[in-house]
Amino acid sequence: MRACRLADTIGTDNGSHSPMKTILLLEDLPEIRAWMRKLVLQVFPGATISESARVHDAIDLVTAVKFDLALIDLGLPDGSGVNVVTKLRDCQPDAQSVVVTIHDDDEHLFPALQAGAFGYILKEQPRELITEQLQRISQGEPSLSPSIARRVMAYFQAKSKPASQANAMPAVNLTDRESEVLLRVAKGYTLPEIGVQLGLSRHTIADYVKQIYRKLNVSSRAEAALEAQRLGLFR
Amino acid sequence: MQNRRAMLLPFSSQYPRPCNPLRAPLPWLLLLLAVLVAVLLAVVQAVLLAMLMTFGLASAHAAGASKPSSSLLVLDTALRAHGAGASFPTAAPATTVSLPDEWAHTRGGQDGPAWYRVELPRAGSPDDDGLYALFIEHVCSNLEVYVNGERVHSGGRMSPPYTNNCNHPQLVSLPSAMLNRDSNTLDIKVVGHALVEVGSRQRAGALSALVVGPQSELAAHHARLTALQVIAPQAVGATLLLMGSFMFVLGFMNRRESHLAYFGALSVGWALVDMRLWLRDIPLGHSETEFLVGAMLGFITWAAVQFLLRYAGMRYRLVDVLLPLQCALLSVTLVVAGPQHLYTLASVWYGVLALEVMAASAWHLHHQHQRRHVRSVWVMAVLLGLALVAGVTEFLAQWTGTRPLAAHVAQLVMPVVFVLVGLRLVQQQGRALSHAVQDKAVLEQRVREATAEIERNFHQMAELRVEQVTERERKRIAADLHDDLGAKLLTIVHTSDSERISTLAREALEEMRLSVRGLTGRPVRLADALGDWRAEVVSRLAQAGIEGEWEAPEDLPQTLSARAYVQTTRILREATSNIIKHSRATNCIVTASISDGDFLFVVQDNGDGIAPDTKGSLDRGHGLASMKNRAKQLNGQCLVESGPGYGTVIRLTLPLDTAIQPS
Repeated sequence: MRACRLADTIGTDNGSHSPMKTILLLEDLPEIRAWMRKLVLQVFPGATISESARVHDAIDLVTAVKFDLALIDLGLPDGSGVNVVTKLRDCQPDAQSVVVTIHDDDEHLFPALQAGAFGYILKEQPRELITEQLQRISQGEPSLSPSIARRVMAYFQAKSKPASQANAMPAVNLTDRESEVLLRVAKGYTLPEIGVQLGLSRHTIADYVKQIYRKLNVSSRAEAALEAQRLGLFR
Repeated sequence: MQNRRAMLLPFSSQYPRPCNPLRAPLPWLLLLLAVLVAVLLAVVQAVLLAMLMTFGLASAHAAGASKPSSSLLVLDTALRAHGAGASFPTAAPATTVSLPDEWAHTRGGQDGPAWYRVELPRAGSPDDDGLYALFIEHVCSNLEVYVNGERVHSGGRMSPPYTNNCNHPQLVSLPSAMLNRDSNTLDIKVVGHALVEVGSRQRAGALSALVVGPQSELAAHHARLTALQVIAPQAVGATLLLMGSFMFVLGFMNRRESHLAYFGALSVGWALVDMRLWLRDIPLGHSETEFLVGAMLGFITWAAVQFLLRYAGMRYRLVDVLLPLQCALLSVTLVVAGPQHLYTLASVWYGVLALEVMAASAWHLHHQHQRRHVRSVWVMAVLLGLALVAGVTEFLAQWTGTRPLAAHVAQLVMPVVFVLVGLRLVQQQGRALSHAVQDKAVLEQRVREATAEIERNFHQMAELRVEQVTERERKRIAADLHDDLGAKLLTIVHTSDSERISTLAREALEEMRLSVRGLTGRPVRLADALGDWRAEVVSRLAQAGIEGEWEAPEDLPQTLSARAYVQTTRILREATSNIIKHSRATNCIVTASISDGDFLFVVQDNGDGIAPDTKGSLDRGHGLASMKNRAKQLNGQCLVESGPGYGTVIRLTLPLDTAIQPS
């Protein structure tokens, strides 16, 4: 594990609503990388983009350079992009990781979200859609599909069972409103629809989704630490 | 399948095998036990007979002793002289002795032949048949009877080794031809051993009182006494020998039941000591015989002590070593001390051995009591108590002149106790055997169950493994498709200049993803599927600026097969694409419902509709034809109702039995 060399720079003013100035682009296909680069520059004009085709290089970059946003592919020649998500979350908690992938199934996406990814974008979507999703994410409105919502619900339900509470797990639980939002997403309602149904603004709904992603990450990290402790990795 | 068979074989062929070691010794044991039981039944019969005879005798004897028949003449004084010749030594000094005459009291250490002379008064009343007889209850070791100087009876060898008649009552006919009318002289020559030369008082030289009377009366008395003193002990001794042999074999074959072997040795040893009743003329010198008897008692003690300890489940290394050593020591001391000190030494030894057996008995009962074998304690306590009473009686009888009836009964009681203990052991063996048979049945049942369980588990594991392999293979194919085909299609999507090719490539990518999804074969909950479909359809319509309405039941319990889920997704996606691309509709209503076992989807738009003659024009790529085809594959149907200006209604009907699998 490479140590983070950016610890002292963390905490500088870089709120999630501020424009993205430094961006990491992790993508192994050169054509797609070039296309993405163009697209990202259109959404965030003047941003500095660091490109990488391998997990190894990306982790090096993450420990050395400060990023506002990271667009991370999952299936890479030398490993999974999830490792980069984890590393970025460790080194730069304020940076936003977004998974950009060809995989739409929760088997691939859920681990990345647990590791701290803030939303995901499917690569093959038309340019306009991706642009819109990138803008939304940068404004703190990540997307959430029904299958991911179901998976998150199942995760927190399993955690709240009495059997696993005996593990002295730090209690990270969803609020009723967050659960309500998740349930409606799982049933196929879009976020604006849910906003209308619950009488909440679009921003409030987005905040709930953000909270859900955050809690999923916090809880998963605590779980991982506990598991590592149980296996004797930390003494 | 082949592999599973091959791997199953070892299970099925190995598991029944452990039963066989159980099976092998059982018939053998059963046979032995059956024979033992038969023998013991015979023994019980013999014992009961002996008991009956003993009781009958006891009453007869008591009657005879208390009021002697008037015709019987009891002679209790005699003239005694020493001499080895063939007639009463008139020259030697003679003394008058009272009968019974025990040499231990009256002759000191002297052991040469002794002559007794009595004058027979006019015998009996001549009114009966005139047959007279002399009855001698106890003579040791042997005698010859002379009437008026003529020898009329001999008990056997009169020179060493003497015939041993100590247990045999003697009946001597007195021929009337040889009897004088008024007075007759009866001479009896007795040979025997001094007390110092024998191990037990009952084998020291002695002559009981003489009874003269009618032969018929005396013969009956003689027969009864012979039955008690000779025949009953012989019968019991023989059965003891047989039973002991069986027990020994049984215990020897099964080392865990070593107490049986020791009990067998004890029984056989006791029977061998009693052999003297059968063999009155042992072709061995007197001192050799006495030595053998003494050594045998050491051996019997060894067996008895070990039996009592092992029977209670105890085993001491020290005892295992000391008892044989004691046997050896006993023999050595008997040899070293020589025949002249036999009685003293044997008495000491008998005391020691008796104390050992009593201590072992007490320890046995104590230990069994601690192990809470209540029933065993009671049975053994009663039997050991009987043996103790018999032993004490016999011991006391040593000091009471000629042997009283109680001594004879006591002598008989000891082997009878052994037989009863043997019965008890056989009963326990039998019960253990039946338990073993039951246990074996239970064990076999368990082995069968375990085998079945293992086979079941194996099947489950095999199935699980097949599932795992399938899953792994699916993931590999999915990864390959995404990495190779997916990457290439993606490149086309984002680099092609033609919008149409980009769209086709995007659709191909989505198709590929669905195909991979269909590979899983994992059923999808209908409620989840509806959620996915709603999210996709409604958001796509919203992006295209079409108002979408979705009506579907919630929380349906059914599940869809992966294939049905994938095909329905494709049909819905195609229908939505058609509306977005061609219909120019502003509103679309999607209704999902379940009726009559069918799953029904209705997609209705308010667009331009499709002219009947140009129905095919809507069908770009796979279009409507492929929608209908997919529905047909699921045994359902896809109907398109449309007309210019009326919009389009697509009715998709899928039978639940193929499309929707119950959960």
